[in-house]
Amino acid sequence: MDDLTREFLIESQEGLDRMERCLTDLEERPQDAELIAEIFRAVHTIKGTTGFLGFKRLETLAHAGENLLGLLREGKLIAGHEMITGLLQLLDGLRSILKTIETENAEGDDNDAALISRLKELQIPVQAVPPPVQTEAPVKAESPAQAETKKRTHDTAGSRSASTPRAAKAVQSTVSAPASSGASVSAAPAPVLAAPAPALVQPVAPVPSTSPEPKTPAAAQSGASQPRVQATAAESTLRVDVAVLNRMMNLVGELVLTRNQILQATAADPHMTMLSRRLDMVTADLRESVMKARMQPVSNIFGKIPRIVRDLSQSLGRRVRLQVEGQDTELDKSLLEAIKDPLTHAVRNSLDHGIEPPEEREAAGKNPEGILKLRAAQEGSHVIVEVTDDGAGIDVKKVVKKAIERGLITASRLAQLGEREQMQLIFLPGLSTSDVVTNVSGRGVGMDVVRTNVERIGGKVEIDSRFGKGTTLRMRIPLTLAIIPALIVRSLKQSFALPQGALSELVHISASQAATAIEWIENVPLYRLRGKLLPLVFLDRLLLPGVEHKAASERDNFIAVLDADGRRFGLVVDGLADPEEIVVKPLSAVLKDIGLFSGATVLGNADLALILDPGAIAMRSGVALSEEEAVHNTEKENESGVAAASSIEYLLVEADGRKAAVPLHDVLRIEQLPFQRIEYVGCRPVLNFDGCLLPIEDSGGVLSTAQGNSQAQIIVVVCREGKRHVGIAVSHVLDVAAGSDLFDAGTTQQSSGVTLLKDRVTGVVDLSNVAPLPAAEQAQPEWSQMGETVA
Amino acid sequence: MSTATVALQDKETPAATMVEMCSVRLGKMLFGVPITHILEIVGSTRPQPVPLAPAFVGGLIHYRGDVLTTVSLRQLLDLPLLEQPQDLLVLESSGGCFGLLVDSVGEVLTVSAADHEPNPSILDERRRALFDGAYKLKDGLLILLDPEKLDPMRLSAVLA
Repeated sequence: MDDLTREFLIESQEGLDRMERCLTDLEERPQDAELIAEIFRAVHTIKGTTGFLGFKRLETLAHAGENLLGLLREGKLIAGHEMITGLLQLLDGLRSILKTIETENAEGDDNDAALISRLKELQIPVQAVPPPVQTEAPVKAESPAQAETKKRTHDTAGSRSASTPRAAKAVQSTVSAPASSGASVSAAPAPVLAAPAPALVQPVAPVPSTSPEPKTPAAAQSGASQPRVQATAAESTLRVDVAVLNRMMNLVGELVLTRNQILQATAADPHMTMLSRRLDMVTADLRESVMKARMQPVSNIFGKIPRIVRDLSQSLGRRVRLQVEGQDTELDKSLLEAIKDPLTHAVRNSLDHGIEPPEEREAAGKNPEGILKLRAAQEGSHVIVEVTDDGAGIDVKKVVKKAIERGLITASRLAQLGEREQMQLIFLPGLSTSDVVTNVSGRGVGMDVVRTNVERIGGKVEIDSRFGKGTTLRMRIPLTLAIIPALIVRSLKQSFALPQGALSELVHISASQAATAIEWIENVPLYRLRGKLLPLVFLDRLLLPGVEHKAASERDNFIAVLDADGRRFGLVVDGLADPEEIVVKPLSAVLKDIGLFSGATVLGNADLALILDPGAIAMRSGVALSEEEAVHNTEKENESGVAAASSIEYLLVEADGRKAAVPLHDVLRIEQLPFQRIEYVGCRPVLNFDGCLLPIEDSGGVLSTAQGNSQAQIIVVVCREGKRHVGIAVSHVLDVAAGSDLFDAGTTQQSSGVTLLKDRVTGVVDLSNVAPLPAAEQAQPEWSQMGETVA
Repeated sequence: MSTATVALQDKETPAATMVEMCSVRLGKMLFGVPITHILEIVGSTRPQPVPLAPAFVGGLIHYRGDVLTTVSLRQLLDLPLLEQPQDLLVLESSGGCFGLLVDSVGEVLTVSAADHEPNPSILDERRRALFDGAYKLKDGLLILLDPEKLDPMRLSAVLA
């Protein structure tokens, strides 16, 4: 296949995807001229290019569609239900030919006559008899491009005269819209015309005499201006092969690994520190850019859903309204691909099992029209994709009964599960609550597929359902596939990586404390974490069962308190190493089957580490998700939501023994540099920072202390203040704390830069008080004071 | 067995069908791996053990940006494990790449297909599933290993 054809295929498919979205929208807003223009463009472009490439079959079909769409665009027909169905058939027809071209490099020789005649029928407004002009017009076409437009106006004029007298205006507006594709068709072969049998003619409602008129010119205008807009967009974007992006991502992964190794190797060498920090930053930026390049909005897959909903609700006899939220949430391309199937499955399930037929809904006192809601949103390092319906919900008792019937779970195990956990049984393969298997769903495969697909990409899926009220299927998808922050822990003389997403805190229990701190119920270890019992899992015992391990009282113990989707437990390890950004490498199938590891990674010291899967460890050890914990978790989420909304985070710093806080939002960088780098403008300390002069606030007297010691290193917190940057010299950076924590410490006052000097407790540095450069020293008492000290 | 020999003879009609084998030592045994399947030979490695993995898995190894699963030939043949680092062959099979841990890698031998004989019938079943016959050399036998048969995925299916 030559490049031209390949490009044509890609473009046409994109056009058809757009067309599909527009068609489903059009059903809701049949008067929307923009939508019709968009659809027209898609078909028109295909027709134009296809004549150039010599795909006759495609051209004929596209032409037939274009004729119909032309009428629509002029507002002569309106997009009723039948019309949309017909256009969707056209879409499918075009798609299938494109597919054939893609696989066989030829159009194939199926006959489109039926479809074309169907499209012809749709062109006939309700009361009109087929005007003879219409059948002749395509045959009479004389010259390319121009003739194309002329022809269309010609035949519409013909049919128009048969129906409404406003033809002339509409025709004029069409002529003003140029035939956008230069390489348009010459003599288009006459579409095969099965004379429409009158009985088959589907009446289309005549044009309402008021509304379409003002819209028609708008359609024509947008038709004319749009291509220009697209042209500029095309100049600034570039089509890149996904394989290239994948390769780039892998290479960036390698770079991150190498960076980690360099950071570790050079940590001790002060000469290398600056260099390796720079490498660190560049790598991080590069990684972000590559990841951004791979991001696509979820609308790419959400866009397919309206069609599915439309077709399914028709075949199932449901009335469904689709609501979509968060279309522009972005997700890695490969992840997007991976959730396409699960999403479709979920939607099918909602329509088949969820939303009831209209009569049933009415009987249950609901709106006969069901609501299916798709929502995507980013939450931290995850993207949440939800499919919610207000249908019948899932009967937990039925799920449980089926699970036992099919022998998927034992009664004793079941007794340990809370209701919400019992609901998750629906994901087990072979479980379907449906009594009948339909061609849409009910085979008990769907939910299993949903879960496997989502888990394969490191995501989680859960279901919430209220019997009679509705169901929500929630997929948590990691933002990136490849790189995650993790804490490196040691056990069995090996390193393991623990994803930080699940880690909530760390507790150290020394050998001497272990005997009392770790309590036992028979052989179940527990720890009292703030008065509540936390089940413990010893990593070494889990990974090497059947071997004598050192008792907790003979070694150091670190409890990593994990929260794996509501399952809270403590993982006991022998030691902790640094947190690292790790590059996830997939494991071979043999090792994946172990079930406890989600991948492997190469650490900064070039060691390999297995990545632990907290959820799987919890499941394997039988840590349950209790009702109480579930409630507790939702509370916690709410709280944290409120907290995040109301408080700002602060960077706590110490200058000369005093603590101060800088709003974290304003902190750009923290720089450690030799004292010699500080220069003075008059008596004001400044730093030549990335080519610009940075005024240094030194109310803490850090600089004066460092004075005279040429080896001294000082720490400068670089902050943003309005449009300028300022530096604050500090002796230590302590911590990051939320504003509320600061209030707890008894510092409710906003304090100025001077308060650093006189305030004992944590004061918030008021950045706007730092004098601008060049400064009028006299006007700033604290600075003149500083100047004296320094001089 | 006779059909197998016939088939072999058919193949070797052009007098000298020579095959290049990378010779590999394990204890006193000499094995051969067709060099066409070898991506790389890595000396003295210490793979990272994987807890709970099937016994034949020798651990994980970092190889050109990928994490490879290795198969320990010693474990496969129920031989005692060695303390010292082992050599690693990176092999390519239809299922992907994997590592094969052996005591040491020797020189490449050119052997004639005429010297090949299938597995003897008295060999135990497990070894028959792993070996692919042997080449008769002047000073001993070179047991042929087929990378396809050593692929960890296949091993876990066969040995389960």
